[in-house]
Amino acid sequence: MTSVMTFPPRVLVKLATRLMRDDMCDAVVGDLVERFPDREREHGALRAKVWFASEIVRGILQFPRSPRLATSRGDGLVQGFLDDLRRGARLMRRAPMQAFLCTLTLGVGIGAATAIFSIADPMILRPLPYASPDKLFMVWETDGGMRSNTGFATFQDVLNRSTSVERIAVAGSWQPTLFGEGSPTQVTGLRVSWSYFRTLGVSPALGRDFAPEEDAQARNGVVVLSDALWRTRFGGDSALVGKTIDVAGRQMIVAGVMPAGYDDVLEPRARIWRVLGYDQTLSFACRSCRHLRMVARPKPGVTPAAMSQELSALSAQLQAEHPQDYARAGFQLVGMQEEVTRSIRPVINAVMVAVLLLLVIAAVNVGGIQLARALRRDGEFAMRAALGAGAGRLTRQLVAEGLVQAIAGGVVGVIVAKLSLASILHALPDTLPRLAAVHLDLRALAVAAALTLAGGFALGLLPAWHARTLSLMSSVRSARVAARPHRLRSVLVTSEVALAVALLAAAGLLTKSVREVLSVPPGFAESDVATAQLQVSGPRFANGTEILAWQDRVLDAARAVPGVTSVAVASQLPLGGNFDAFGIQAEDKPLDNPQLAPSADRYTVSADFFRTMRVPLIDGRAFESGDNRTGAAPVAVVSASLAQRIWHTTHVVGKRIQLGEPTRPWYSIVGVAGDMHHRGLDVAETMQVYIPTHTFFFTDNQVDLVVRTSGDPSRVLPALRSAVSATDPTVVVTRLSPMSEVVRASTAQRRLSLTLFGAFAVFALFLAGAGIFGALAASVAERRREIGLRSALGATPRGLAWMVLRQSILMTAIGGAAGIACAVASGRLIGGMLYNVRPGDPVTLAIVAAVLGAAMVIASVLPAVRAMRVHPAEVLAE
Amino acid sequence: MGNLGELEQIVLMAVLRLGADAYGVPVHADIERRTGRELSIAAIYKTLERLREKGFLTARVGDPTPVRGGRAKRQYTITSTGRQALKASIRTIRRMAHGLDVGLEPS
Repeated sequence: MTSVMTFPPRVLVKLATRLMRDDMCDAVVGDLVERFPDREREHGALRAKVWFASEIVRGILQFPRSPRLATSRGDGLVQGFLDDLRRGARLMRRAPMQAFLCTLTLGVGIGAATAIFSIADPMILRPLPYASPDKLFMVWETDGGMRSNTGFATFQDVLNRSTSVERIAVAGSWQPTLFGEGSPTQVTGLRVSWSYFRTLGVSPALGRDFAPEEDAQARNGVVVLSDALWRTRFGGDSALVGKTIDVAGRQMIVAGVMPAGYDDVLEPRARIWRVLGYDQTLSFACRSCRHLRMVARPKPGVTPAAMSQELSALSAQLQAEHPQDYARAGFQLVGMQEEVTRSIRPVINAVMVAVLLLLVIAAVNVGGIQLARALRRDGEFAMRAALGAGAGRLTRQLVAEGLVQAIAGGVVGVIVAKLSLASILHALPDTLPRLAAVHLDLRALAVAAALTLAGGFALGLLPAWHARTLSLMSSVRSARVAARPHRLRSVLVTSEVALAVALLAAAGLLTKSVREVLSVPPGFAESDVATAQLQVSGPRFANGTEILAWQDRVLDAARAVPGVTSVAVASQLPLGGNFDAFGIQAEDKPLDNPQLAPSADRYTVSADFFRTMRVPLIDGRAFESGDNRTGAAPVAVVSASLAQRIWHTTHVVGKRIQLGEPTRPWYSIVGVAGDMHHRGLDVAETMQVYIPTHTFFFTDNQVDLVVRTSGDPSRVLPALRSAVSATDPTVVVTRLSPMSEVVRASTAQRRLSLTLFGAFAVFALFLAGAGIFGALAASVAERRREIGLRSALGATPRGLAWMVLRQSILMTAIGGAAGIACAVASGRLIGGMLYNVRPGDPVTLAIVAAVLGAAMVIASVLPAVRAMRVHPAEVLAE
Repeated sequence: MGNLGELEQIVLMAVLRLGADAYGVPVHADIERRTGRELSIAAIYKTLERLREKGFLTARVGDPTPVRGGRAKRQYTITSTGRQALKASIRTIRRMAHGLDVGLEPS
């Protein structure tokens, strides 16, 4: 009996009470409530509920409240419309295949458009969630066109000297480990100058912002937490504010908690912010220590151009004062909104175009189906027009039928949108800004639905308008003897095919690009290599000796794991997303300005790095274990292109180089290695310099472990994790995976656009196929008499099938050719996403043509068979 | 006084059989049990109301019961004109069917 308690839903009952005639409402609703438990027992809860809802709707349609409606039997405007709605639903039931195609088409179009718009809106369209976001700028240092982060000393100068800046702040990356209750957890954060949140125009929801006096070396033990971190790790305890927590082994005061909706676009994963607390005595606070990102807001009334001009003048000044620290210095001002959407904007733009195409296809398809339905009803319309129905009445009926279709399509659209939004979000990297703000956008759903319908039903209405002018006799006759090919319909289907082909071609080109990118030799052998990122922290690791000792323990532990043949640690991994580079100066090629020195990826590695990663040695030797010892002679390995760049030869063993500052030690080159793709497989190889971990002038507390295995590297991962976890209680293991995963992950953005386009192409192909099928089926149905006659006059089944196929081939060929022309012409649109493949790539286009042909054949089989099976006697007797 | 449609005949017969307790649920159940036809409650009431407007049925508001969530029943009783119309309909069918072999066993 509990079902009676939870049932009926109040909304439905309220709706019935509001809309139904009083005398019938209790009778009907009471009966339904009385019947419900039986229905539930017989058909299950869900179907019983659907039954209940549909019965209520029927009740409302049969016994509407308005007296005007009740007295009129089909003449009242609303009653008439309700009748039309009912008729629409009946029509759908009578032609289920058509209704199904139409609903699915609408659903896919509406759903896909909604999902994409839901993502695009917060990411690139809506302003950033900060105060006057259009007045927020990123300030980059530039060096002859190449932009870079900024050093602390430079930031100080801009802060002190600029008159156009109202607020300015810097942020650097920070990845602390949290101790205290629970297991040590590594979180992503930012180290920011005190004015950071004030510059953005946001403030904590709980507690307070950083105070200016806390931004000093001695007083910087202050953090602000994100709402998520505060809730998950600290149980949302508001008493936490003002207390201390253990951050990387240091007690830090929690000043405040940011609001739940706060989204840090500089570091979307940030969960904790620490006040910067630099001063210029720190070695990493220098001008050329460019690791901080600068955000500025101009004073009211100051235009970006004026601010940009002032900063240019300032950079010229700074370069004159410190010629050793700047090369071709300048500042670049970029709107923050533009900055954060740079990486994703081209993809989203292209995808939006794809969605638009899909919507057009959906509208065309729906229009085509409506058109076919209306054409078949020429007779009905003409008859009703002759019996006195005005054009308005007929139009109203078509609109009502459309509405029924729209509701069904809308429901499917919501489901499609939800599912695709969830899967796209799953595929997107979490480093994208504003991801947290993405949600199913109902306004977008409404707009997409309205657009699709408007387009579709504008086409559907054509025949209604046409019907007005029909004479009864000619129309009834032509409906029976209809032999005229419906040219409009063929044109619609042909254009559908063209759009689908354009999308297919785009998907094909992107697929080829991803394959091309993945086939680029990375400069190392990623197969049979497992990797993990390890970090230790806490006061015990304050000096490098302890860290190096721990690294040696890690190497020993990993080497002891069964199946491991060789192990190494490195300060970063190729394609791993870290871009740590140093200026390289050669002893025999001194430069006046060290800022002009070529910059190479800095790899501090243990001895077996080359053997483990299979990086080829071109000249000289790899490191030996004797090189990687404290106090050993400082040696280095350089990559071939670095040697070429400085000395124009790879025979450079014995030459000496220096990394970074002129005060650093000199390293003798003992070997030359092949170049690696460090930044991306689709980016040219960069230069590398390798130094043994024990002889580098500082030690990273975070390292990448690489191990070569004798079998499937994923099999050693569990053993590897427990082995390295045992080396220290504070160790945090992240990104434990085969190296091939790291390589694959570096192509994530490419694969994302491929996934999106692929999905659209599949949808579009499906819709075009449905369009062809619909057109042929309708044409066979309309030409039954003609086909029967032909058959009676001796046409063979093969000939009849050919008659159908010819129509299909014609539509496919013209549509396909137009689509390919479109794809080649619009290559510019996706050109930026292509790698090593031209928009007119013949192989891809041939594959697209083959796929299209196959789809065409599948879509034509059933109608052709139907044409062959038309029995002359049956048709002629009709 | 027009002739009865098929649905009207069926509903009228169900009301006649059910006597005092003729309202949506039992009418629906009777029709479903005997004909296997699954009609919507609204369609049944539509027919009942049409028959009432034609003067073949009268309606009264019955007692609210707990299983209906306290909602009143709308109970129908056949009138004498209703009874006559039904008789006329059945007679017509019998006469027309007389002597025809449509594969039915004699009832």
